[in-house]
Parts: sequence; C-alpha cells; structure tokens
Amino acid sequence: MGQNDSPMRKEFENEALVHLDTLFNVALRLCGNASDAEDLVQDTVTKAYRAWDKYEPGTNCRAWLVTIMRNTFINQFRRDSRRPSAVQFDTVEDVSVFESVQDKDPEGNFFHEFVDDEVKQAIQDLPEEFRIPVVLSDVEGMSYAEIAEILDLPVGTVKSRLFRGRRRLQQRLYEYALEMGYIR
Amino acid sequence: MTAFWKLGNWMGKAMPPSGGVDCCTVMQQLYEYIDGELDEQTVEQIRQHLEKCKRCMPRYDFESAFLRFVEDQAHVSAPPELRRKIFASLLEEDSEN
Repeated sequence: MGQNDSPMRKEFENEALVHLDTLFNVALRLCGNASDAEDLVQDTVTKAYRAWDKYEPGTNCRAWLVTIMRNTFINQFRRDSRRPSAVQFDTVEDVSVFESVQDKDPEGNFFHEFVDDEVKQAIQDLPEEFRIPVVLSDVEGMSYAEIAEILDLPVGTVKSRLFRGRRRLQQRLYEYALEMGYIR
Repeated sequence: MTAFWKLGNWMGKAMPPSGGVDCCTVMQQLYEYIDGELDEQTVEQIRQHLEKCKRCMPRYDFESAFLRFVEDQAHVSAPPELRRKIFASLLEEDSEN
C-alpha cells in the first residue's frame, strides 16, 4: 500500500477490484485480443473509481462494473455498436449436438479432447449478441436477471440468446471435433 | 409386428408424462433448469420427470457436461501486469485529487 492510503481507495479495492478477473474475461470476449482488453479494463476501472460515490453499497457491484464496461466499449471501442448486428436465423440451433452423438458419445467425452485455445476461439467466433450472454452466464455464473440488467435487455431475450449461443457453440465444437478426429 | 423404430417413435411421442410435465416441456426448460432459474415447483416437476425418463435424462447429462466444460475451459485470469497498472493508476487518480 502507498503512503497516501485513502479509505475510498481501500473500499474500492475490496469491493470492486475483486472482480478484476470477471472484467478481464468480459473485456477479452468483447475486444477479441488481450491488448485491447487490458485497455478496456483499465478505462472501466478508472471510470468506476471516479464514479464510486454513485455506487450504492450492498448492490451488485459486479453487475455495476460490467455495465460500465459495456458502455465504455460501446462509446470508445466500437462507436457503431448501437446498431445490433444482424442475427441470422438458422435451424441448426434448435437441435442439440446430442442428437448427432447419442450413439457414439452420449456423455460428451469428446469435449475433453479440446485444448484451451480451441474452446476460447470457438467462443470468440460466436456473434457478439450470443457471445456476451454465454460468457456472463457460463463463464462468470451470472443469473439471467443480472445479464438482462447489464445488457439492457428483457430476461426473455437473454434466455433465447443464451439458448441459441450455447447451441451454436456446441455445434461449432462438434464440427471441429469431427475435423480433428476427436469424434468419428 | 411393430417395427422397432416405430415403437421408439411411439414411445418418444406418447410416453405418459412423468412428474406432471412432458418431454417437450422439459427440453424447452432444460437450460433454465440447469441454470437454477426456475421456481421450486417446476424444478421438482422436472427433477421427477428426469428421474424416470430414459429419453430426457441422457440429454440432461449431455447439456450439463457441456456447460461444465465451457465453465472450466473458458475462464481467464487478469494478467498480473494489468493488476499492477491498475493499482498504479488508482494511486495516480488519488494524487490528482
């Protein structure tokens, strides 16, 4: 700790900086590379620190921080992001990969053949409207309500994006597993 | 004699609902069930259905395995250097005010 240890900074460190891993994870999925992600985390933390008096103690600090990150990303890193990217409707999402593997690998053991980077890349390749709900839910363990608050979406939309995002990810991993011979 | 595939098809469609819900409803709510987003009564209905349904249970196991796998694989920790930079920038913020 530095010599000019302020109570506010101490409080901020205890309440907000414990979520640094979450912020970095989300930033990485938003930006797609570590360098931009680090910049985004840094900008987010600085903004949050300056606005710390607006944070209500006892409320969801993690959601508050990720909301600041989302807004920062929209305003600074991708100015045209208010226009939602076109969502392609394809029927593949309705079908679980289970239907394709139930005879040869019903327990999904082929998932464990993947190396880290392949999975991260598959997540990164999801369109953003699916990627962020999937990361917030499946990597960060957030509830649908928290995600809805952060993304400013109705809970029903979060639910359907999660459903479709997960199915897309599953399908992508399955196709990759076929290509690599992890599953026959 | 009924062909085996027809019997399978018949079972899939007409199997009496277990736990008061049918397979279709369970499949639609499977992610919400795994995510802990359903009320107690629905959770109990689905749990009872899954216990008895040979069609839905393997699907539940597969989706659960998939979500656990994503959770395990995808997490990244913030680099130590970023932590250092952030602590330094907060000190700087303080000194400016």
